[in-house]
Amino acid sequence: MDRIIFGDNQFFGINHMSEEKAQAQAECFKDIKAIIKVIDTAYECGIHAFMFNTHDRVAELCDHFRANPEKYSALRLYPSMPYAHKYANVVNEKGMIGALNDFLFTGRTAGEALTTLIRGGRGIFNRDMIEVMKLLVDAEMRMFKGLNVRAIFLQNIVTDLLLGIGAKQVFVEFADHVRKTYGVDPAFNTMNMPKLVEFLLGCGIENPIVCSSINKIGYLMNPDKVSYEETIRTQPFRPMAMSIFASGAVAPREAIEYVANQKNIKSIVFGASSKAHIEETKRIIEKCG
Amino acid sequence: MLRGGVIGFGRMGLTHFSILNNHPEVKFVAVCDSSSFMLKNIGKYTGIDTFKDYHKMIDRSGLDFVIVATPTGMHAEIVKYAIQSNLHIFVEKPFALNVRQGEELVEMLKGKKLVNQIGYVIRFNDVFIQVKKLLDAGVLGDLLTFKMEMYGPTLLKDAKSGWRSKKQEGGGCLYDFASHSIDLINYLIGVPDEICGSVLQSIHSANVEDAICSTFLYKNNLRGNLLVNWSDPSYRKPAYRMEIFGRKGKIIADLHSYKVFFRNESGFDGFTQGWNERYITDFVEPVRFYVRGFEFTRQLDCFIDCIINETPSKKCSFEEGLKTDMMIERIIEDAGKRRAGNG
Repeated sequence: MDRIIFGDNQFFGINHMSEEKAQAQAECFKDIKAIIKVIDTAYECGIHAFMFNTHDRVAELCDHFRANPEKYSALRLYPSMPYAHKYANVVNEKGMIGALNDFLFTGRTAGEALTTLIRGGRGIFNRDMIEVMKLLVDAEMRMFKGLNVRAIFLQNIVTDLLLGIGAKQVFVEFADHVRKTYGVDPAFNTMNMPKLVEFLLGCGIENPIVCSSINKIGYLMNPDKVSYEETIRTQPFRPMAMSIFASGAVAPREAIEYVANQKNIKSIVFGASSKAHIEETKRIIEKCG
Repeated sequence: MLRGGVIGFGRMGLTHFSILNNHPEVKFVAVCDSSSFMLKNIGKYTGIDTFKDYHKMIDRSGLDFVIVATPTGMHAEIVKYAIQSNLHIFVEKPFALNVRQGEELVEMLKGKKLVNQIGYVIRFNDVFIQVKKLLDAGVLGDLLTFKMEMYGPTLLKDAKSGWRSKKQEGGGCLYDFASHSIDLINYLIGVPDEICGSVLQSIHSANVEDAICSTFLYKNNLRGNLLVNWSDPSYRKPAYRMEIFGRKGKIIADLHSYKVFFRNESGFDGFTQGWNERYITDFVEPVRFYVRGFEFTRQLDCFIDCIINETPSKKCSFEEGLKTDMMIERIIEDAGKRRAGNG
């Protein structure tokens, strides 16, 4: 597990605190070159691990990584899927099932559709949910082909929906599929970490990687900060902390000290756009241990 | 333990199910949908009873409450049956396809102790909860003008398939999208005395409108504007912006933050003369279980609390939702007059 992982929310206009800030950030990163520049800054300052949503822009980034294998020889990726907004508009038009059917079986490039068809030409309608989940993982993983993937994350909206439904079998099969097909650990993003950890352990998924918001002010920590701290202290899992600055509400040093004081936290995911911020954050994390 | 059922298992039905499924006082026992794929899988992986016919589901499942998340066109007949079956009801927004349907349902509820709520979820957003508190405390003095804007990338090409492109099923920007912002006006400011200058504009859609503007007039010298466009690709997801101007100052709010400008010393704790900016991180409280946003859990927990405590619907009853439906219908009428006038 990497101690420091660089996140990508800032590139895609995701900011939990301010719509205006999010919009402004998205404008800065309109050009893929601007994103690559920030990635390179992080990489050059020794951060080689990146968590990426399966955004269309990330597919472009992956092409860039593949085109420069020597430069990125130490790269380690932690994809998080699916990037929900990619599907949102088709869902509005055709409903969830129609959207999945479109994404997996129609409206794609001939080559991609063909690979899917080899698995049996039926549309989604006669299929089992688990089969669809596996097809979806494989479709999303195509953009990372040939790159060094260390774990595959289920994105939080999907994780939490399935957790609420209590679909044990889907979690178990996701974990199996990721291990068998890609040889990496399954991992989960969530807004309900204590409940998810208890559930995953109950599913028999041992020592799971679980990434959630962990910050001093308890922002996006449901049902409360105390349950998070207790779960981190007592449960056998690999916690990863994100939103450590609570979208800017906590000062860097204070934020990192809070996370570093919880000794069981394995990794810290953070996103930044400037060289100064990236270097400062990395320095403080390393200093705090 | 309250026994619940969901009718309409699309994105919203699924979300509501997920949020309430682990509520300590709720047990879901039945789901109804038209899709065999959905029913087969839900049945298989949750062991819950599934139905294609909502009558059968209601008749056979011994329910206390039902969540209705079908396309709008079906709301009225389902809600009617649920009222006749004495169930507490949560129905997605907007309430019904026309005011007459809504009035009939509100009338049917009279004398019955049934909790009823409409899914105008933005009322439960933490920023707008704060804005409501400030307005109720009268921080702005007499209100003079407001502007409600809502933009999103919901429809970026002509959607020929699906219910959202069909007026008779509740499609179109006005019912499906703008209804949230119209309800916010109803909630925060009130029902206008006059609606004028309404324009329903198509951008991509052949059969429904994609953008709306309208002017709301109130007797006490207050006026407001509504500006909505669901075909704006510059947004990543739906965005709200509300600006309210009064004699003592002004509030600007979106889903994540708000700022208040006070002309003089505010007289309110923590607020000073000039701009006061507040972010959601300053005041949001966590929820029992989070899926897609704090407000989704808050609205359902409010519904369940009302059932358990045998209190009337607190925040967004059918009667309240009907007012919003009435405003929607008046916008359509007003826009129609203009078209007729243009020949």
